[in-house]
Parts: sequence; C-alpha cells; structure tokens
Amino acid sequence: MSYLSISHVSKQYGNAVVVDNFNLDVEKGEFVSFLGPSGCGKTTTLRMVAGFEIPTTGKITVGGDDITNKAPNQRNVGMIFQAYALFPNMTVAQNIGFGLTVRKMPADEIKQRVDEMISLINLEKHANKYPYQLSGGQQQRVSLARALAIRPEVLLLDEPLSALDAKIRVSLRAEIRAIQKRLGITAIFVTHDQEEALSISDRIVVMNVGVMEQVGTPFEIYNFPKTQFVANFVGSLNNAEAEVVDPAGSILSMDGVHFKTADAEMATRRKGDKVRISIRPERFSFAAEPIKDNVVDSTVENITFLGAVVRIQVKIGNTKFNMDTFNNPFLELPSIGAKEKVMFSKEAVLVLRSGEERIGPPGNRYEADDIPAST
Amino acid sequence: MTTPPVSGSVTVKSPVSRRRLSSSLVFLVVSLYFLIPLVATFYWSLRGEKDVLGFEAYRKLFADANFLPAFSESILNAVATILLSLLIVVPTAYWVTLRLPRLRPVVEFITLLPFVVPAIVLVFGLIRLYSRPPLLLTATYDSSRFLLICAYVALSFPYMFRAVDNGLRAIDVRTLTEAAQSLGANWTTILIKVIFPNLRVALLSGALLTFAIVIGELTIALYMAQHTLGPYMANLTRSKVYEPSAMAIVAFAITWAAMGIIDFLARGSSRHKQMVDTD
Repeated sequence: MSYLSISHVSKQYGNAVVVDNFNLDVEKGEFVSFLGPSGCGKTTTLRMVAGFEIPTTGKITVGGDDITNKAPNQRNVGMIFQAYALFPNMTVAQNIGFGLTVRKMPADEIKQRVDEMISLINLEKHANKYPYQLSGGQQQRVSLARALAIRPEVLLLDEPLSALDAKIRVSLRAEIRAIQKRLGITAIFVTHDQEEALSISDRIVVMNVGVMEQVGTPFEIYNFPKTQFVANFVGSLNNAEAEVVDPAGSILSMDGVHFKTADAEMATRRKGDKVRISIRPERFSFAAEPIKDNVVDSTVENITFLGAVVRIQVKIGNTKFNMDTFNNPFLELPSIGAKEKVMFSKEAVLVLRSGEERIGPPGNRYEADDIPAST
Repeated sequence: MTTPPVSGSVTVKSPVSRRRLSSSLVFLVVSLYFLIPLVATFYWSLRGEKDVLGFEAYRKLFADANFLPAFSESILNAVATILLSLLIVVPTAYWVTLRLPRLRPVVEFITLLPFVVPAIVLVFGLIRLYSRPPLLLTATYDSSRFLLICAYVALSFPYMFRAVDNGLRAIDVRTLTEAAQSLGANWTTILIKVIFPNLRVALLSGALLTFAIVIGELTIALYMAQHTLGPYMANLTRSKVYEPSAMAIVAFAITWAAMGIIDFLARGSSRHKQMVDTD
C-alpha cells in the first residue's frame, strides 16, 4: 500500500472545477513533482494535502491515516513556500525551533534538533541572524530546515525556487534533493519549470486545467509524452501536419516529403488520414552518415546561438523545424540558405492520437517561427 | 548670427532654484502659523511670576492636588482603552485580511463612524442607553468610567484600525499564518507569537495616537462626570490665568513625545530592514 494516497480528489469553487478527479499514490521516500502552467490546479492539490483547502470530493491518506478533513496544524506535514514565510521577528534558530516549541518539546531537545538542522543546511554562522539579514537562498534553506525540524510525514514544496536567481536555483534544488534522499522523506514539489521537475523528481505529474495529463518518470515524460499538451509543455517541440501515405509501412508525408514513424497505432489509420506529428529539436542531425531511418532534404533558414546549444532552423518541404546541436568551439555550422540533408529516427516522430490532443495554453508551446531571427 | 554677450552683473535664476525658494517660503509661513501660537502660549506660561520669566505656573500646576490624580486617571484610562482596542481591532483586522477581505469596506466604514458622529452626540446617546436597567452603567463612578473607556475605544477605532490594517498589509499575513499552521500552531499561538510581534510598530503607532486622544478628551469625560485631565484643564481655564498655558504646553509635550517614540521605532525598524546580508 502506498504511503501518501490521493484518491478521486476534486476541488470546486462554485461552478469552477479547479482539480478534477486527481488520483495519485506516492511511495515512502519518493520525490514527486506536480508540473503544469499557472492555473492548472497543482498548487490547489498541494494545499489540499497541506490542509489549507478541503477537497470537494475524494480522500487523502498518509500512512493509512485519513487526513482529508484534518486541520493543517493537526497534520504532520511540512511546507515550504515560494515567499520563504520565515517569521521576521524570530532568528534563524527560533524559526527552526518554532514547530518544536509549539509541540512543547523539552528545551534541550529543541536545541539539539535546531543545531542538527542548522548544520544540515550549513548555516551555522547565521543561527542568530534575523531573516532580513539573510539572502534569498539562505532564507529558503532556513525554511527547509524549519519544515524538516518537525520530522514531517510528508514535505510539501510550493514553487520554493521561483523567487531565486538562476544560479542559486540550480544549486538549491540539488541541495533539496540531496537532503530529501538522505532523510528518506516523502516530498511533493510544485513547479511550472520543466527543467526543475525533470532534474529533481522520481516521478512527475503533468497537470493541465485541473486534470492529470500524465504521470511518469522524467525519462518517460520527456521521451514518451502521451498527449499533445505534455509533448508541448515539457521540452521544446516542433509541430507539423502530415498525411498517412502507407499505414502498413508507417510512412507519412509532409509537403511531398516522405518519412517513417515508429508509432504503434499507425496500422489502425487509413491512407489519407491527417495527423499531427511532433519531433524534438535534438532528434534531428545533419546526415553525415545516413544511418537513420529518415533522411530528407532541407534548407538552412536561420542559426541561433543559445550557449551550450546551437539552434538551427531548417525548412523541410514548406515547414520550418528547429534542430538543436551541442555547441563546441570547433563546430562546423552550415551557412544560411545552404541545402543540407537532415536525418531523424522513426522513433523521433511522435504521432499524437486525436483523443489525447488536449491542447494547453499557447504560451507554453512554441512553433519554429517563434525562434528569434538572430544568428 | 552672433549671440549678444550676457552682462556679467545680471544673474538669471533657474526654475529649480526658484522652486526651492518658493518651497522654503511656504515652509516658513506654515511654520510660523504653527509656532507663533505655541511660542505665545509658552511665553505666557512663563509669566506666572510678576516681572520675571520663570516656571512658576508649572510649579503651581504640579503642586495642585487635583492635577496628578486627574493626570494619572487619564493615563490609566488611556492604557485600558489601548488594551481593549487592541483586543478588538487586531483579531478583527487579522480575520478580515485573512478570511473576509470582502468585508473590508464595511469594517472600514464602521471604524470611521467616530469621525462622523460628534462626541456630544455620542455621549448623550451613551447616557440615554446606559442610564436605565438592564444596561445601567451610569449609576456609579466606576461603572461610568468603564463606559467612558468603551466610548474611547470607539473613538480610537479609526486610528487603531488604520494602523493595524497598514501593518497587516506590510507583512504577508496569509503565508505567515499558513507557515505557522503547518508547523502545528493554533490560532492563539499564531496571533501571540507571529502576528502581534510583527505588528509592533503599527500597534505602537495606533496605541500612541489613542493615548494622545484620550489624554486630552473633554466632552465625553465632562458629561460622564469623570475627573480626568480634560475636565481638569477646562476648570483650570476658568479659574487661573497662567496655569492653563502651562498645562497646554505639558499636554503638547506629551503628544510630541508620543509622536517622537513612533518615529524613532519606525526608523529603527526600517533601518534594520535595509541591513540585508548578501553573503
């Protein structure tokens, strides 16, 4: 039996359904991320686990104990907020010890636990400082220590890295993950940042308009998206319309350019069916050796330097695609307007079934034309 | 085309310096408007002794057997008013901010009523309502004093609510409350250990404004036959020449001391906030 179970949970405000029939089983010590755009219901779900919202229907259990209607202060759940939420009138040590003081633990035990937590987050020199004397990253580490000090059954993190700058965000997320693994604590992490979710989680729940789109490991979510929304939301994606030419041979055509797909359900389609295909930019490469299933002619339209990655926009038929290649100082880039052969595997061609084409907000998707024209 | 030479003796004032001059002039006029009566009152209070400027009026004032009892009674009333007002206003403002933000305009309107209802109307209303059973509160001096304190609490609402509300808006009440709840705190603990300490300056500001109002209040205290500083000052004006001026200066000094304390504490708090450690 799973440790944290969220079963058939829905949340409704008036007629608006914010979370619809959410089901998730989380194992003890697992790190699960809720990923989705603003308004998808991820924070509401987290708040229902914390007790700040009561589900309209459904049940939440932790270790077999039904906590659905328990007050937040009666659940042993630690919470980390985006805005740190440290008590400004208390020092770092007092903040960390607050939950223990509330539980009326003996003073010496509180001191021992607080010291332990402070050393866990490497802020020994800052124990007597007030929150306003700390940087954002330090404040969030204190917030983590404060939540962990009460030894919660579940740790909830509500976009804890969003207010931090990029470098701190990366180092702190690694620190959070390391501490979570070391303590073996069950954690739920809410984020709208796909990179964060992919890098930190055991499993990801991708949500859209209150519905779970897909649950899976980061590898599954990125490589095998089940819906158009997941494919678009996680990672970069090229979208195009294609026509089924040969269902048995899994051959599609796009503006007269033929290519293969490994989609398992191609056999069920009929010749002439229109399908929407998606190919990730990194799945393309220039065909120095034509070892892939699909080798097609293209024209280089644009080249954009993105640091570690160089994004090359090519035109295949009448459709523009972005292809990503790792940067290195000796990279030989084609010139704009050059005719190049581009290859991609048949597995790279995702054909999304029409029943699962739940399209998310346009802001979370891009088409090849959205790429800046600078070279 | 050549530019005619500018005469060295003529200086043209820039718009900035002209604006600075007019601002200084306005400041001077306003300062004089406030200071002249104050200086005149102070000067008058120093003339208690014939042909000598001194503090005789102050000495007589403090020597008056009725002054200190009236003064201490007013101080006790002010403290009681502040405590009662805090007990009513802080939980109300907290709850409105946290759970009932839609009620904010209603609560704001109610707290502004003391500005609309004159003190004389308020006191006659109170006397009418509480001078017969079952709500008889004007029968004894002490019960009338309780009623007076309740009336002062109502008078303090506009200042106290505004101060507390501003304080609550300056902190993230919802998140702090939820953080405390997730750590196991109940409502009382949250209010006492998290909300009150973080409203320190706001509470102090509301409290000192309330103090200033209660110390000098005349109308309600007079009609409730209370021996506080307001009626004492009114009596003094009728019977003495220099002592009322001395009394006015003392009351003024107390008020300014209260304002100074607010300013000092507020500055201390903002200075702390600027000392952000960036390591």
